[in-house]
Amino acid sequence: MNNNIPPILALLFFPGGLFVIVAGLFYEWIDRKLVARLQNRVGPRWFQPLADLLKLLAKEEVTPDGVNRTLFYLLPVVALACALCTALYIPMAGLAPSYSFRGDLVVALYMLSVLTICMSVAGANTLDRFSLLGATRTLTQMFSYEAPFLLALLGPAIAAGSWQISEINAYAHAHPWDIFVFQIFGLAVALVGMMGKLELPPFDAPEAETEIVAGAMTEYSGRGYALFRLGKNVELIIALTLVASFYLGGVSNPLEFLLKTLGILLVMAVLQTLFARLRIDQTVGLWWRLGALLALMNILVVFFIRMKGIHL
Amino acid sequence: MDNQPTPKKFIVPIGPQHPALKEPGHFEFSVEGEIVTGATVRLGYVHRGIEKAAENRNWTQNLYLFERICGICSHVHATALALGVEKLANLEVPPRAQAIRTLMGELERIHSHLLWLGVAAHEGGFDTLFMYSWRDRETVMDLLEAISGNRVHYSANIIGGVKFDIDDKRKDAVLKGVDFLETRTHHYLDVVTGDRTFIGRTHGIGAMTKEQAELFGAVGPTARASGVQRDVRIDSPYASYPDFPVNIVTDTGGDLAARFIVRIKELFETYRLVREILAKMPGGDLVVRAPRRIPAGETVSRVEAPRGELFYFLKSAGGDKPERVKVRTPSLCNWATVTQVAVGYKLADMPMLLSGIDPCFSCNDRLVRVHRGKDSQLMTWEALRRYGIEYYKK
Repeated sequence: MNNNIPPILALLFFPGGLFVIVAGLFYEWIDRKLVARLQNRVGPRWFQPLADLLKLLAKEEVTPDGVNRTLFYLLPVVALACALCTALYIPMAGLAPSYSFRGDLVVALYMLSVLTICMSVAGANTLDRFSLLGATRTLTQMFSYEAPFLLALLGPAIAAGSWQISEINAYAHAHPWDIFVFQIFGLAVALVGMMGKLELPPFDAPEAETEIVAGAMTEYSGRGYALFRLGKNVELIIALTLVASFYLGGVSNPLEFLLKTLGILLVMAVLQTLFARLRIDQTVGLWWRLGALLALMNILVVFFIRMKGIHL
Repeated sequence: MDNQPTPKKFIVPIGPQHPALKEPGHFEFSVEGEIVTGATVRLGYVHRGIEKAAENRNWTQNLYLFERICGICSHVHATALALGVEKLANLEVPPRAQAIRTLMGELERIHSHLLWLGVAAHEGGFDTLFMYSWRDRETVMDLLEAISGNRVHYSANIIGGVKFDIDDKRKDAVLKGVDFLETRTHHYLDVVTGDRTFIGRTHGIGAMTKEQAELFGAVGPTARASGVQRDVRIDSPYASYPDFPVNIVTDTGGDLAARFIVRIKELFETYRLVREILAKMPGGDLVVRAPRRIPAGETVSRVEAPRGELFYFLKSAGGDKPERVKVRTPSLCNWATVTQVAVGYKLADMPMLLSGIDPCFSCNDRLVRVHRGKDSQLMTWEALRRYGIEYYKK
């Protein structure tokens, strides 16, 4: 199953390291540009995410009073490292994952959650009131979307009879309409769950600037903030790849990857512009009342179809 | 307004520098989790001493000075001053000048309400509505610029009349602009009454009963959203409002949603009024000659600013400079509604609740009260004067 890239290159260039970073910046630009155009704004130029990153990296990093310094500097690195490592287990750019083993889906999702946990710990590490509130909200949001999102991704996994990302991808590729039609609810939950995970509007209560400035990230400046942002970008591209490979008939070549992930990004951009920000209690309510229910229903449908052996 | 923050509580400060408020004001919300248990407000960051400065300028200079109290409702301040001075001097201002004053005031109301709609939507994280309403607001800004040459401080008023006329070309432009804005405003009314997420953020938030609104002395759309029938344009018509009566817009909800609805419906009323004024514009002169020295006396001038009742007290000693000018702006009247009503709602509602009264900070700040823990002191004017004399004697 594994492709033949030497481990060090896989880690540094493709699919980990440089490739996901560049792709993440590129996708961030597309997202920002699409949202801007939908809001009747001009939007940033193509190199703006890179310029932001370089500017942040070059800026002075202020260490606030009262933080645990080790944690303060370590957390951004851990967050980015986890996000980058996840890239090794997913079919990035439609090519086979560098590493693959039974149950790597669980590992990938776990590593993505580590990024979120790092951010909230980073917020809780400071004395700042906005950060503390942001950290609480980040964790609250995580506990609300994580379960439905996981259930939504388990749907295709059960259908494929495997918890290995590459096998699910291959199954989805072989039976694209089976998953898309029977698990349309799962797709919706996964899509919206991804937006919750990435804290995109309307699920941006954890970093709602008009209430709590930048949430958990308020005290971060310079390098630490740059790394967290980069981690978010990498998370974006990984989440897009996962949803595309699970629900949209798999990704088997770079062109397919590009089209499918950009398609999802377009839908996400539209959703981002459509709604007012949800309060954190509304977010929790939405996920547990609707999201979890839909995801469970999805799983039941999958069980039923597997039992009867229906195929389109 | 209670200025003492309660100790030993988790207090979230908003302002004076905070992304939610682009103007300086300081609010302390004590919270338990996300629930707000107390709110205090501290103002005075942009106190500029305008009332004192007015005493050293003549009446005409003051017209420019008072127009600069606010960068949103500038015209209405100048109108209030001009109307008051004209009352003192017993001037009969030509009806055409009054109609143009009223027209400018109503155009200003359109721009102010659209601006508020965008800001309030932004506080609720609905940036799409923010961007669209501000795009459409450019229409009325362009109209104001075409009429007066300025986007913000139109300087339409002079004592005894107005500076510029509305000719047919400008009239057509205004009518066209108002038509466009009316279709857009219908759309915004649909959005604020129909969008599920938006209703979730506004419906039932910060609800204030009619009795509370009366008690806290709320003015303007904030009071009208609670069902209080209060509008200076109707209660004591000034300028051209006796000839062009306004229909009051009220709502019984008292919550944020009602404030959105009242302001948007007021826009329709304003469009109607603008059309009517343009259709029945009286002819005649634009200005009568005003004396340089205003006869001694005192008067009160009240006008309806976009945010509510604007109150001017003018005292002349018979010279070319005022003896005293006192301004009470609508934003100041409405603060109590925020600090009283906030308790029990979520922290996430606070920015919207704050912006719900359409606060205008530079209007507010008429009094500085330095609040620095133990050093806090409040001085009377006499004591401050003595303190100043003693200080410089050393």
